[in-house]
Amino acid sequence: MNVKLRMRVLSGLLTAVVVFGFSSSAAWAADYVPVNGAGSSWSANAIDQWRRNVVQYGMRVNYASTGSSDGRNQFKAGTVDFASSEIPYGLKDGTVVDALPSRAFAYIPLVAGGTALMYNLKIGGKRFTNLKMSGETLTKVFTGVIAFWDDPQIAEENPGVSLPKRKIVPVVRSDGSGSTAQFTSWMADEHTKIWDDYCKLAGRSIPCGLTSNYPVVSGKGYVSQPGSQGVSGYVSQNANEGTITYVEYSYALKTGFPVVKLLNDSNHYVLPTASNVAVALLEAKIDKRPGNSYLTQILTGVYDSKDPRSYPLSSYSYLIVPTAVSGSFTAAKGATLGDFAYYYLCEGQQQAEVLGYSPLPINLVKAGLEQVKKIPGVSAKDKDVAKCNNPTFSADGTNLLAKNAPMPPAADKLGYTGTDTGAGGGTDSGNTGGGTDNGNTGGGTDSGNTGGGTDNGNTGGGNTGGWVDNGGVVDNGIVGPGFCDNDTGICQAVSAEAINPPDPSGRTFAQVQIILLIVLFMSLLLAVPVLSVMRRAKQN
Amino acid sequence: MAADTQKPRQLKYVWDFQDQVFRGIMRSAGSSVLIIMALVGLFLTLRATEALGTVGFGFFTTQAWEPDSGNFGIAAVIAGTVIIALIAIFVAVPFSLGTALYISEYAPRRIKRMLITMVDLMAAIPSVVFGLWGFFFLQNEVTPVAKWLSQNFSWIPFLSVQGSDPSDPLTPNTVFTSSSLIAGIVVGLMITPIVTSVMREVFSQAPIGEREAALGLGSTRWGMVRNVVLSFGKGGIIGATMLGLGRALGETIAVYMIISPVFVVQPRILENGANSVSSLIALRYGEATQMGMSALMAAGLALFIMTLIVNFAASSIVARSRSGASS
Amino acid sequence: MTSPNMAEEQKRQLHGIRIRDLLTTVTAAASAIASTGFLFSIAPLNGPLTFVLIAYVLFIVFFALITAIDDDREGVKDRVASVVIRSAAVVIFSALVFIVVFTISRGFEALPYLNFFTEDMSLAGPLDPLSSGGILHSIMGSLIQIAIALAITIPLGLITAVFLNEIPGKYSRFVRTMVEAMTALPSIVAGLFIYATAILLLGVQKSGFAAALAISVMMLPIMIRASDVVLRIVPGTLKEASLGLGAGAWRTAWMVTLPTARSGLTTAIILATARGIGETSPVLLTSGFTASMNLDPTNGPMVSLPLAIFQFVKSPEPTMIARGFGTAAVLMFLVLILFMLARILGSDKNVFGNLVKNIKKLTKKKVA
Repeated sequence: MNVKLRMRVLSGLLTAVVVFGFSSSAAWAADYVPVNGAGSSWSANAIDQWRRNVVQYGMRVNYASTGSSDGRNQFKAGTVDFASSEIPYGLKDGTVVDALPSRAFAYIPLVAGGTALMYNLKIGGKRFTNLKMSGETLTKVFTGVIAFWDDPQIAEENPGVSLPKRKIVPVVRSDGSGSTAQFTSWMADEHTKIWDDYCKLAGRSIPCGLTSNYPVVSGKGYVSQPGSQGVSGYVSQNANEGTITYVEYSYALKTGFPVVKLLNDSNHYVLPTASNVAVALLEAKIDKRPGNSYLTQILTGVYDSKDPRSYPLSSYSYLIVPTAVSGSFTAAKGATLGDFAYYYLCEGQQQAEVLGYSPLPINLVKAGLEQVKKIPGVSAKDKDVAKCNNPTFSADGTNLLAKNAPMPPAADKLGYTGTDTGAGGGTDSGNTGGGTDNGNTGGGTDSGNTGGGTDNGNTGGGNTGGWVDNGGVVDNGIVGPGFCDNDTGICQAVSAEAINPPDPSGRTFAQVQIILLIVLFMSLLLAVPVLSVMRRAKQN
Repeated sequence: MAADTQKPRQLKYVWDFQDQVFRGIMRSAGSSVLIIMALVGLFLTLRATEALGTVGFGFFTTQAWEPDSGNFGIAAVIAGTVIIALIAIFVAVPFSLGTALYISEYAPRRIKRMLITMVDLMAAIPSVVFGLWGFFFLQNEVTPVAKWLSQNFSWIPFLSVQGSDPSDPLTPNTVFTSSSLIAGIVVGLMITPIVTSVMREVFSQAPIGEREAALGLGSTRWGMVRNVVLSFGKGGIIGATMLGLGRALGETIAVYMIISPVFVVQPRILENGANSVSSLIALRYGEATQMGMSALMAAGLALFIMTLIVNFAASSIVARSRSGASS
Repeated sequence: MTSPNMAEEQKRQLHGIRIRDLLTTVTAAASAIASTGFLFSIAPLNGPLTFVLIAYVLFIVFFALITAIDDDREGVKDRVASVVIRSAAVVIFSALVFIVVFTISRGFEALPYLNFFTEDMSLAGPLDPLSSGGILHSIMGSLIQIAIALAITIPLGLITAVFLNEIPGKYSRFVRTMVEAMTALPSIVAGLFIYATAILLLGVQKSGFAAALAISVMMLPIMIRASDVVLRIVPGTLKEASLGLGAGAWRTAWMVTLPTARSGLTTAIILATARGIGETSPVLLTSGFTASMNLDPTNGPMVSLPLAIFQFVKSPEPTMIARGFGTAAVLMFLVLILFMLARILGSDKNVFGNLVKNIKKLTKKKVA
């Protein structure tokens, strides 16, 4: 009797919960069907922000930052609806060519950015934030040729700095990564000999070329960590002094750690700021041949751009979208994906710079908008790019961000011997941003800005100010109120909308449902012991 | 009449309909479990053959892991797995033995029950929690000890550290992070409750008569424990150890969170860089191509066979020992 | 060593703690700490763990020396062994308790926020403060996944366990061996199996259902083995009595065997559930990742608690790490509830009372 009663109560509760769960999940579904993506952790911060912004439109975009290789591969296997990657399909990794997926696909440019060299180094107990390196030095650091921070080659580039005799610990990605591919592709292109020597040491065949999996030679003190979060997290641990890693600039901003000023072809040390990346990418060649590599980038021009402002390790990342319905990808999902793509190509790009990326230039946005139309089920829109408020756009079609990018200060020219050791956080803000105040060298020291929050270099686009002052790091000013305080007002609209969900009543109803659901589950958990205690009491 | 009763009666078993259905359901449940289990094994083997066919015997001797260029093997990862598991056992067994003896022999009766519950509860703590603790707490605490060990005992091969100069005060801490040692300690703590629980169970079954005899002959408590409890529970101790070893070999997340993977046999346990089969799978499953997946399956199969052997060895040792007979 | 004419031989104390032991321990500990402190001041040693290790070794040495003053060899051995065993227990219990306390205290930053339990992460990004975003989606995900896994494993597992006991023979022995072998299957390999078959081969999406399948593959052998052990100890006489009264195999199993073993079976189920709910690796491969609530296990990724912890602490953001620890505290709390449930149901002493009632009912029916 008791057993039966309890069984009945249990099963009743269980049914109630299941029915309830399904009904509430049905209530959840808006007009948009959720889409799932995976891939690059390089661009994950941007996608994560956009994903949140489109919640207000009822779109649900799930994104797992599992690395570019994982994203491309999952897209190939059909387990995700879209992928993001820094490198396209079909590249040769070592001796293996990454095969094209069998499903029809297209690339849509996602966001531009600079692969930054984030480091953790202290001099005299204070964090050093003004490290300069040439491409060759950097390659030698990451290939173990230069093993100590006080190496003469580094010292020569940082005159007046007493670097410690501390071992350099390069932190590399342990998973297959587009950042690794971009970085190694740069090393293979620019410093072939050093890179090939290292590859040979690591047991790879040469010429080594680009690879998504960084070859690690055991016993050299390298550290491998998964994901951009992993490597930046490792470097940003206080105890891990002497580490250096390659990661998208946004991760350095988020963790508040400094990045290397990299020497470009015109002998200036530059930071991967939005404007410097935009300038560099003017030299990127975009593959315009229709076919499976349409819109992919050729970066050789970027590596040796002659502009004194260009950051050599700049690149775009892509969204890989299906162009035909197949497997679990339906036209309904296409509609969501299409609208998401429209959003980030247009409105989303405003935030690129705040996040630590660089907005896409107009030609790529236009080409991207055309690509979106290939997604099945998309409701094709003719977005007016002029209304996107993308800081790179101008009326005459030139890249405004690049045009107005401040020149690097004299102190950052190769061979400058002034007193430019300004220690302390945020030194760089004065240096780069100083276009307006004549390359004031120490200017940034007062900003109290933690290391990475470097560039407050106002680019003239008017869309960037404000955030640095929020106490250093990019802070929450992204969605919440207060974002773009000093702004032209454009992104206030975004923030205002973001904090007001479209249907507050529906939301609260959903919350009530959830609470009810929890209560039900708790009662389910408690029912059994309570019943058994009651029964025992009765029997005693 | 008499002859009739002498003959055994012919027993006829009639299954009524209900029982026939019941037996049918039981058989089919048993069979479907069997099929599921067989499917896992078969599928793993089947998918693994592709990779094994490509590299052949080299699969067991190659250290690198580049499945797409046909240069891969499990020498490094299996060695890494075994090293971590051995460290775990090295940590877990003495402590488990002590704790189990304490609970069964030394603890006051009042708290005994509570301690048993606590050990069982600890066995249910999710491994990811151990991983968190290892990564965010233990790592920082072990680093100075590792440093000290490497400075003073570097003549022991597996305690030496490459790329660190003991006399250099600026030796980076990073050399001592993410090592096999840290992963091993965390996994060791993780398996301690289960090992303790099994050992305690065995000790509590040591025959009371023998205990009393030992004490009656003037033995100290330790003498009684050593000569009665421990000798009775020898099989159980080995069995529990093997069980813990099996768990340690298969642990994924705690190891994944701590180590920095390297693809060489790395016997220097204090040094940054370790690897294990399961964390390799967790790291590479997503980006694995057809061949990569097959290679991971082969690695998984190898790990499975290893834990299988350990488990069966454990159960046969327990079954053959004195303590196993009663359990 | 004992001579018969020794009139007032002291009784050997076998239980409890003697005041002399206590004093010896305190003295040995004090001198060990003092001399370790001295060692630290003259030798280049650092780190609290190093200190503790050296102090402990010295403590054992001093303790042995002090007891050796007035005890024989066996006595010293006994004392030292007792102290070593006690300290092993203290170390393990304090380490395990510390792990729990550490997790909760690090998570305490996130736990006081109500939104941590009532919201998902769809509107909270890496830089948002703890006052926005929560883990409701992963709590629900965990509950749904474990519910599906239980719906698969309980019937299948229990019936198989009954099968192993009720229909003995070569076949069931083979099944038992196979199940025993499968308990050795590492959880990541269970996940890999579901990933390679269900997801890659059959085209099931990465979803709550796929995750539940992976958890089931992992839990099934554990549950069968545990229930098999429980069912094996049901006294044969009870079954014979039932059969003797004319009940069929089905009635015997349903009304005698299962009720007798009920508390043990509940414990088996709940312990397997605790294992399944806390396992990260199978869900890592099969459930996909999402920051928003998904209550539909068949469609789209669904996050569970362990996976959420794993993803949170990957981020270098302090708020995310706090969320990770908070989630870990919630997960442990859930496991604790399950465990207490097992205790309450497992310690039910009224099983035999029930059994008698059932048999009475059985006979009544037969008579009528």
